Amino acid sequence: MLFPTIQFGIFFPIVLALNWLLMPHPRLWKPFIVFASYFFYAAANPKFCLLLGGVTLGNQVAAKLIHATDDERRRKWITGIAVALDLAVLGLFKYYGFFAQDVSDTLDAVALGLPLPLLTIALPVGISFFTFQAITYTVDVKRRLVEPASTMDVAIYLSFFPHLVAGPIVRAREFLPQLQKPVDPNHVAVGAGIGLIALGLVKKVMIADFLAREIVDPVFGVPQAYAAPDALMATYAYAAQIYCDFSGYTDIAIGLALLMGFVFPQNFNSPYRATGFRDFWRRWHMTLSRFLRDYLYIPLGGNRGSRLFTYRNLMITMILGGLWHGAAWTFVLWGAFHGAGLVTEHAFDGRVGRRTPAWLRWFVTFNLVCFGWILFRSGSLDLFWEFLSRFTVSGPATLWTLPVVGAVVAVVGLQLLPPGRLENLQIRVERLNPALLGAALAILILFVGATVPSQGVPPFIYFRF
Amino acid sequence: MADDPRARDDNQMQRFDQEGLNRFSARQSVIAITITTLLLILFSGASVRHAGEEMKPGIGRDMVLAFGKPAGWLADRLPLNDVANRLTAVVAADDGLTGAGFDQPISQQPAGRVPPVTPESFDPLELGQKVRKQQLGTLLVTGDSLSTPLDLELARRLAPAGVDVIREPHLATGISNDTLADWGKLSATQVDEHHPDAVVVFIGANEGYPIPGLDGGKEVSCCSPEWAAVFANRARQMMDTYRQAGAARVYWLTVPTPRDPDRQEIERTVNEAIAVAAQPWRDQIHLIDTVATFTPGDRYRDSMEIDGAEKIVRESDGIHLNETGSSLAADLVIQDIEREFDY
Repeated sequence: MLFPTIQFGIFFPIVLALNWLLMPHPRLWKPFIVFASYFFYAAANPKFCLLLGGVTLGNQVAAKLIHATDDERRRKWITGIAVALDLAVLGLFKYYGFFAQDVSDTLDAVALGLPLPLLTIALPVGISFFTFQAITYTVDVKRRLVEPASTMDVAIYLSFFPHLVAGPIVRAREFLPQLQKPVDPNHVAVGAGIGLIALGLVKKVMIADFLAREIVDPVFGVPQAYAAPDALMATYAYAAQIYCDFSGYTDIAIGLALLMGFVFPQNFNSPYRATGFRDFWRRWHMTLSRFLRDYLYIPLGGNRGSRLFTYRNLMITMILGGLWHGAAWTFVLWGAFHGAGLVTEHAFDGRVGRRTPAWLRWFVTFNLVCFGWILFRSGSLDLFWEFLSRFTVSGPATLWTLPVVGAVVAVVGLQLLPPGRLENLQIRVERLNPALLGAALAILILFVGATVPSQGVPPFIYFRF
Repeated sequence: MADDPRARDDNQMQRFDQEGLNRFSARQSVIAITITTLLLILFSGASVRHAGEEMKPGIGRDMVLAFGKPAGWLADRLPLNDVANRLTAVVAADDGLTGAGFDQPISQQPAGRVPPVTPESFDPLELGQKVRKQQLGTLLVTGDSLSTPLDLELARRLAPAGVDVIREPHLATGISNDTLADWGKLSATQVDEHHPDAVVVFIGANEGYPIPGLDGGKEVSCCSPEWAAVFANRARQMMDTYRQAGAARVYWLTVPTPRDPDRQEIERTVNEAIAVAAQPWRDQIHLIDTVATFTPGDRYRDSMEIDGAEKIVRESDGIHLNETGSSLAADLVIQDIEREFDY
């Protein structure tokens, strides 16, 4: 079940009402939320509920075993096995086809024959997100940052439907305490919740899908049909599209959770305002950045060693972060590109960074990030090179329409405004009477729905990941 | 990046506690969303019922209809749907569909009359006749999600040769499901807009929905002969539109056997219906048999041998062709196009 559908439009008001009705009775409320979340997940494919349940039980058993012993070696081993199993599940469903084909091609090339059956395995929606959350639970128990929770609480944590499909990646220590102390029904950020849902819908349907239709999909699909001006605008338009698509989804997820009384961590903070790669990753998909930092970069040794050791860790972290996005070499190279950016920044920051004007750092960062998006969007390396080659071809700007340019400028420009102004406006709206906001949301949905063309609403980009 | 994960918690979990944002109650939360839902029912309730009616039988359809029928009943008795349409017309997607839709009753031959076989029922190439090649100026590639990335493959190969390749995938649509798009009207609109010399159609991933029977009345379920007949009539209407009274050629790809056994029955019926639909104009409508290429013997497979190496050709959903598979499908299409067109 996807958020912008009629099915979800029926599902959510019922679940919201029962959520608040049952919340004073945790023995009823907790099974209800697990049931509602599994029902939500089963709409995609009921078989995948078994996988979600298996990951939940597996990590819960590991957490209990870790907690039961003080032997550090034993704790480490159990954690290692649990994380390895989580990653094996992720690897099997997400990467098997990719690696099997590449291994097969390589071995064929040296006449060694086919070592693996070439199968495609259906990718369970949200697997990248719930396996990462399961890892945070097990590792945080091992690190003694959280106590093992009840199996019911862990089931809610991993399956809670607002974040189940595409995040944000909520850490166990952020979510489990919210289950353990009763939510105050008199302190609910209703206006903020409705405001975020509305903002997310506008970002996704009216901006991201519009840009995809008008310029991004045509130019990235068949780059050879376009010249440099269109390639340039398509690059900036994709930067705006992917931001609006993913942050739009996150806004809706956070808004739904708020209406139910739960708070998720922030996932975006004006990423195109960044003045460096480090700054970018503190603003873009922040929950993934934190995960990679806390559960990969630091366990690898972080910056606790020589410069080369730090650079190695940064590169490994970012390459694996790139691979997390999908089983393709373009994602690996995108991760490596960002890793190289972080390493370069680390190496020169002290000497060059502080002497460079902020506007120049922003300009360079923004354009490098946009360059990275070309890799991210290209379906293959051949297409990436084909797209780059278009920058050397002169020709007319056939797709530079006022709405396209206006949308790109607005998405990037609004992030460059001083933070206070927009936030004040947002806060003023979110403090309005919720009934009024509810009516406004209905009107907005009617308008947003009217802009959907007969091609329909394409799925959120991050659903694939 | 800091080294101690406990040193910083940049999650801003307290951000809604400020500025009085959390000063509302749970009751207000429910009231606000109830108001949203009620207004949507009043202004657009019929679309909920319509969406439910177009869903495949199952718990999801029952759930939507249980809500959609009373919502539609209420909306039908109020003039608010028209008000909403007028208000949103300013921003509405420019999709004004033209031509006859699938809601028109299907005309049938009078009983007892034998339908004539015309010369158009024969592909001259199959009879060994020579065909004068035309110049391919505009190629429309359309269908549901099956038509991607086939459309990209064709565009990448033909656009450099000067062919204007128009890609129009309509995701999640189906011939038996006109919730998102009525292909009867859509095909007419496409022809009016683009006047293509040739049309490539690859559709069939979202079929199997109940459709009104031949008399336009009681719904029939997939995959009875009556369902196949209605489907074939709809497909034939599209083919007739795309062929533009013989001025254009249509390359219609059949659906390769999917992995899911439940879907296999649907795809078999769809492929049979398409074959029947094309019979009157086999000189203009060319069926491209993907089953023989990708799933010989109607047996699903993920991979196949291409140029001496085993390659994965299907997506993980077991329905769509991946890039490699689409590239192979594009070979089949271009092979057929080149028999009749220069470019």
